[in-house]
Amino acid sequence: MDNLVASNIRQRPTRTLLSVAGVALGVVLIVLNTGLVEGMLNDRIKRERGVGAEIRFGRSGAMLSPSSSNPVDVRYADRLMKIEGVGQVSPVGYYIQSGNSGLGMEIVEGVEFESYSAITGAKVVEGNAPKTDQEVMIDEFKALHNKLKVGSDIQVFGETKKVSGIYSPQVGSRIKMPLSALQNALSAEGKCFEILVKVKDPEKQDDVRQRILDELPGNEILLTRDLGVGVGREIPGIKGFVRAVLVLSVIVSALVILLAMYTTITERTREIGILKSLGASKGFIIGVIEKEALTISLIGVLVGLIISMIAAWALERATTLQLEFTWSWILRAGLIGLGAGALGALYPAIRAANKDAVQALSYE
Amino acid sequence: MDAILKTENLVMTYRVGRVDVNALRGVNLSVGRGEFVSIMGPSGCGKSTMLHILGGLLKPTSGKVIVDNEDMAGMTDAERTDTRRRKIGFVFQRFNLFPTLTAEGNLRLAEQIHGNGKKVVDEEVRREVLRLLRLENKMRHKPLELSGGEQQRVAIARAIITRPAIILADEPTGNLDSENSEIVLEMLQKLNRELNQTIVMITHNPEAAAVAARTVHMRDGMIVGEK
Ligand SMILES: Nc1ncnc2c1ncn2[C@@H]1O[C@H](COP(=O)(O)OP(=O)(O)O)[C@@H](O)[C@H]1O
Ligand SMILES: [Mg+2]
Repeated sequence: MDNLVASNIRQRPTRTLLSVAGVALGVVLIVLNTGLVEGMLNDRIKRERGVGAEIRFGRSGAMLSPSSSNPVDVRYADRLMKIEGVGQVSPVGYYIQSGNSGLGMEIVEGVEFESYSAITGAKVVEGNAPKTDQEVMIDEFKALHNKLKVGSDIQVFGETKKVSGIYSPQVGSRIKMPLSALQNALSAEGKCFEILVKVKDPEKQDDVRQRILDELPGNEILLTRDLGVGVGREIPGIKGFVRAVLVLSVIVSALVILLAMYTTITERTREIGILKSLGASKGFIIGVIEKEALTISLIGVLVGLIISMIAAWALERATTLQLEFTWSWILRAGLIGLGAGALGALYPAIRAANKDAVQALSYE
Repeated sequence: MDAILKTENLVMTYRVGRVDVNALRGVNLSVGRGEFVSIMGPSGCGKSTMLHILGGLLKPTSGKVIVDNEDMAGMTDAERTDTRRRKIGFVFQRFNLFPTLTAEGNLRLAEQIHGNGKKVVDEEVRREVLRLLRLENKMRHKPLELSGGEQQRVAIARAIITRPAIILADEPTGNLDSENSEIVLEMLQKLNRELNQTIVMITHNPEAAAVAARTVHMRDGMIVGEK
C-alpha cells in the first residue's frame, strides 16, 4: 500500500513490533485475567449447583462471598432438621487458599462426609474418606489434572497433607477434609460457613425457605438455583483485582504507543514540515499519527487475542484452571487496546501538529 | 498588469535572544499572473524569509502579503495554512519528498491534502504535467531510486499537479549538477509557458535567473534593483 500510514509502519519494523507487543500485552492481561475470573466463577457455580441441596443456610451478608470466616453455629443443623419439609442437612466449613499454580484461589471445604454424601451423592471411588487431621480428599478432576493419587502430598493450610481418597462426582470445592479438622485448624470450634439443606420435595423449596426464614430469623437463606445470578458471583477482592488489571493494561498500552509515536515524530520532524508546506492542517497531521497508532494498536489487539487463546489452552492443559472467554470481555479488551493506543498517540500527535513549519523543514 | 502576488512594505524581524535581526526591511514586490520571476541576492539577504512569508509558512512582523486577493498577513495560522493548501506550491533545494513513498505516492499525498477529502485533480492535467516533466516511467520509484534531477522533477510535479496560483521555489537547482540544473530550469520554463504557471524562484546562479522573464535583486532585506 502506497500511503503514508502504511509505509511509516513498515519503515520501522522493530518499533512497530515493540508497540504491537505492548498493546498485545495489555490485551492478554485483560483477556486472560477476566477469562480466569469468569472461568473460576462459572466452574464453581456449576459445581455448587451440582451439590444437590436446594437451600443454603448461612449468616446474613456473609454468603455473597466465600471466605475463611465460618460464622454459623453448627447447632443450627439440628434446628433445621426439625423444620417441616427438610429432608437432610449438612454443615460445610470454608477455607480459602491461593490456587495451587499460584493463580487464582482455591476453596477447601470441611464436611461431615456421611451427611454430605447423603445430600450430594459424592462417593469415594479410590482410597478412603480422610480419618485424621492430616488427610484430605480430592475430586477426580483435580486428581487427573494435578496428577495426584491416593497417598500423594498436597498443600493445605500451608502444610503438607496426604490425599487419603478420591471422590466422584465433582461437587462443591475440589479439596475436602473433615469439618472437625477444618475447625481445629481455624480455631473455629462448632462453627461452619453454611449449612446445606435438602428438601423432601424440591417443588416446595420456596415454602421450606419461607418456613426457615420465619423460624430462624436473622439468617440468610439462599436457593441454589439462584446462584450465579448476582448471588455467589463474588470472590473476595475480585472487583478491585479486575479494575487493577484494566488500569494496568491501559497504562502499558498507552505508554508503549506514546513512546513509540514520540520517537517517531522526532525522527520525522522534517516530514511534518513537508506536510505543513503542502498545506496540511493540524487536524490532518494529528489524523496521520493517530491512524498510524490505531493501526499498530489494532494489530496489537489481534495478536493479543491470539496469544490469549494459546495461553488459555496451555493453562487448561497444565492446571485445574478453567478459563472462560466472554465476547463482552474480548470486545472490551479490544476497545481498551485501541483506546489506549489513541490516547497514547494524542500527545505526540498534538506536538507534531504544533511544530514550527520552517524549523521542521530545516531539521536534519 | 493583473498582480497575483503583491507585498506592501513587508517587514520581518527575528528576535534572537535580546537581539533583533532585521531580515526584511520594507519589501514591495508585485508579481503578475503567469509571470516567472527570479530573486537573486547574497546569502542572508532575506530571500528565503520572504519566500516563506509569501507561502504563509511565516507571519511577517508588519506589512501586507496579498496572494490572489487574500491578505495573508492578517490571517491566523490555520487560515494561512488553508490558503497555502489552496494556492501555493513549494519547491525546495532539498527536494523534500517523502522517502518511504513512491513518486506516485508523493503526488497522491499532495493531491489528498489539496483536495481536503475530495478528489480534485484533473487526470488530463496530471498526464500533461508528467509528460512535461518526463516522469511517466518514474512514478513507481521511491526517491532514493531516482537521481537528484529526477527527484526534483517529482517535487515540481507535486507542487504543480494541484494547479496552485503560485509556485515558490527556493534554490531548486542548488543541489543539482549543471546538467540536471539545466533540465530542471528548462522544465520550469516550459511549465510557465505551456500551463501559464506563475513561478517565483530564488537562485544564486545568474544563469538560472536568466530563464525567468524578470529578475529581482535583493540586499540586506530590501529590493535593490530589477532587470
Ligand atoms: N529563524 C530565524 N531566527 C533568527 N534569524 C533568522 C532566522 N531565519 C533567518 N534568520 C536570519 O535572517 C536573515 C535572512 O535569512 P534568510 O531569509 O535565510 O536569507 P537567504 O535565504 O537570503 O540566505 C539572516 O541574517 C538569517 O541569519
Ligand atoms: Mg535561503
